[in-house]
Amino acid sequence: MMSLISIAGLSVRFATRSECVRAVDTVDLEIARGDHLALIGESGCGKTVLGMAVMGLLPENALIRGTIRYRERDLLQAEDAEMQRIRGKEIAMIMQNTASSLNPVIPVGIQVSEPILLHRILPAKAVQAEAIRLLGAMGFDLPERAACRYPHEFSGGMQERILVAIALACRPDIVIADEPTSGLDAEVKSQILHLIKKQMADRTLLLITHDLGTARFLCTRVAVMYAGEIVEEGPAHDLLSLPLHPYTQGLLASLPSAGLHPIPGMSPSPSHLPDGCRFCSRCPSATARCSTEHPRMSVRGARRVRCFHYA
Amino acid sequence: MSRKMILRVSVAVLCVYFVIAICAPLFTPFGPAEISGKPLQPPGNDHLLGTNDLGQDIFCQLVYGARITLLFGFCSALLSVLISTTVGIVIGYYGGFVDEFVSRCIDILVPIPMFPLLIVLTAFFSPGVLQISLLMGVLGSIHGIRIIRSQVLSLAQTSFVEGARAIGASDFHIMSRHILPNVMPVVMVKFVSQSQHLLVMGVGLSFIGLWDTTTVDWGTMIQNSYSSGGMALGLWWWLLPPGIAVIGISLALAMIGYSFEEKFNPRVGVNRI
Amino acid sequence: MPGDYITNYLLSLTNHLPKEAVDQFYHQFGLDLPLTEQYVLYLSNIMQGEWGYSYAYSVPVFSLIMEKLSWSLILLLPATVLGILIGTVLGAWSGWKSGGKKDLAVFNLMIVIRAIPEFWWAIMAVVVFAFYLKWFPLGGYTSIDILYTGLSIPDVLYHAVLPVSLMTFFIATGNYYVMRNSMISVIGEEYITTARAKGLDERGILWNHALKNALLPMITITTFQFAAIIMGNVFIETVFSWPGVGLLTTEALRLRDLPLLEGIFLLDTLFSITAMLAADVLCSLIDPRIRMGEDV
Repeated sequence: MMSLISIAGLSVRFATRSECVRAVDTVDLEIARGDHLALIGESGCGKTVLGMAVMGLLPENALIRGTIRYRERDLLQAEDAEMQRIRGKEIAMIMQNTASSLNPVIPVGIQVSEPILLHRILPAKAVQAEAIRLLGAMGFDLPERAACRYPHEFSGGMQERILVAIALACRPDIVIADEPTSGLDAEVKSQILHLIKKQMADRTLLLITHDLGTARFLCTRVAVMYAGEIVEEGPAHDLLSLPLHPYTQGLLASLPSAGLHPIPGMSPSPSHLPDGCRFCSRCPSATARCSTEHPRMSVRGARRVRCFHYA
Repeated sequence: MSRKMILRVSVAVLCVYFVIAICAPLFTPFGPAEISGKPLQPPGNDHLLGTNDLGQDIFCQLVYGARITLLFGFCSALLSVLISTTVGIVIGYYGGFVDEFVSRCIDILVPIPMFPLLIVLTAFFSPGVLQISLLMGVLGSIHGIRIIRSQVLSLAQTSFVEGARAIGASDFHIMSRHILPNVMPVVMVKFVSQSQHLLVMGVGLSFIGLWDTTTVDWGTMIQNSYSSGGMALGLWWWLLPPGIAVIGISLALAMIGYSFEEKFNPRVGVNRI
Repeated sequence: MPGDYITNYLLSLTNHLPKEAVDQFYHQFGLDLPLTEQYVLYLSNIMQGEWGYSYAYSVPVFSLIMEKLSWSLILLLPATVLGILIGTVLGAWSGWKSGGKKDLAVFNLMIVIRAIPEFWWAIMAVVVFAFYLKWFPLGGYTSIDILYTGLSIPDVLYHAVLPVSLMTFFIATGNYYVMRNSMISVIGEEYITTARAKGLDERGILWNHALKNALLPMITITTFQFAAIIMGNVFIETVFSWPGVGLLTTEALRLRDLPLLEGIFLLDTLFSITAMLAADVLCSLIDPRIRMGEDV
């Protein structure tokens, strides 16, 4: 399958006055057309930074290396105007924080129609109707009424639907969803997940989440990130039923259904990363080699693992 | 010049002002109101900054005037901050009726413009510099109360306050040991900015004659030289020194205030690396 | 206000107080009525525009203030409007580019301007521009020629240039600071990132998203600024001998003219309260969150 997005050697570092934070370290990732890939990891592992890098939304003090190839262009080298053309139209993002990601003083309908107008998808007269149609498709009962309302008038779940509508407005090829169900209660979460699954049926999805259940529901492939690196990758079903990397094993063991066994210790600070394997200090099967040498990716059929045990 | 450098210089300048004000008698040959020479003399050996129209030494006036101006500014700022911190912490912590009541009072007092009120009260009672500075301290504390209160409110909800209660700490203990240190950054910023604001206002008030015009402070000095046509006769040494003195301390305080604000509130930050 | 009004007033007229005169005044002004009735009388007088008599000028306070007010307005209206515009625009630009060299430069400049007291700027301006360079007159609102030619508008405007410029200068710094802070905090908000993710260019983000939100706090501020116009600018008017409410205040203070000062204070307070109410109303009209009764 042809890769839609090819990420090669991506490193993102943030230079602050006192230290250098390595948020993403030499990541290689292929996303094929039609893939639903979940990027799993705990907070601070760099998954959101990765998503932002694809969108070109990293702050100015980010030092980025590597390439992100999309349709024969390197997104990291693209000019601002070009990125603006791509964002929203070809690659769209569903933001993490529902309430604060919507402009409080602009009615919802206008916020949804904004990308459509911007990228000139439809003539101006038809935009309003399209926005209302979108809101209806997202599950709003009276979309014409909803379009005139302001974000704070809606509940968290409804706001999330608005964010989904905004992302899908221009019918992008790729959607990056950053923790789409954070802060929502169980029933609403389930509704949103079903909505996303339905809408992503013939699109490419990059899901950023820490929730294994969500990943299992929505995605066909999973990549696990730890301390800025990808430590395991493969088809969702395989990986989640038979994890190879000790970290993934630990993650699965820490689920409530598996007995809530936490992984001991804490993940390393991105500004003081250890030599050798980054998971070494918490790994039950660590060897002497693990603390001195840094493991590279090994291939096991359709899976990739970054661990000496599979080298 | 980096931020740190500016801060250090400003603090140094401030210290110099203080030292000069406190040790005034040590290096002034004449008293501030003493007629010690011929009028309108340019700076010379006897009189470092020359003399004014009455023959008083300007340098000595400047130095002694520093005492009053600085005293005014810092006293009123100190009082203002003390009141607003205490009241703010108490009503923010206890909430309920006390909070409601005091907040309503503040709401009523806020629109009352401080400046005219000050002028009316002064015209009526004719108080001295110290009383006026206390008065300004009280008036100036009104806005601060709201700010401190909102800080305290957000703190009082946090769990460490509940934790302190759970171990049996008394209200006073919580307020002084837990809440106070946390609002200190805001308080300090407020103190510095109030000092600058009230000090400059004090000079301005004395310039328009709010208190006894025979007292020697920078405001009256400026007033005297301006209205007596100091510039018209080209007597820069009469007009400029007090003005420059005010600017100096005002700038120093402003710089310190902004450095603090930057440190405690990174959003306002100007210097990014 | 506390104090015996009549005694003060009469004392300012003569040194000797015959008892019958005092009694007569008491009765005429209703000072022999109980305190609450006096207060009611006071309020009704205020409503009718009877604000007492000035000691020094011997004219009714109300008309005196009104007369001077129009002169103050000549200075203050243009200065306030210009100052708000310039300050807001500069502040928005500075906030948008915050952290950059230009922003830093302007910001520090504004701090310095603000640190120097207003009256000092005024004095320096008079000294430099009027005295040495002779570009502008030394003060007053008109030249001596009116004795011959009558009041001429261009002449008044000419005299107004320096004070208005200075006031604009100073007012702008306040607006600059608030607007800049407002803009900086808006930029940090997440809906700006959403707008970027939609593919909006910087200009679009600035105009459609950032400005609307950043201007909200300015409404309150500017309302108060307009209210403060009433006070006149004491310092500028004193330095430039401009016959407005500010100068009136200084004079009244010098002469300890209580009724006049009280009148000015009353006017200021009334306007201040009106401004607060107006600001509340305006805010609720513009910010949809407040309109709906949300907790902002």
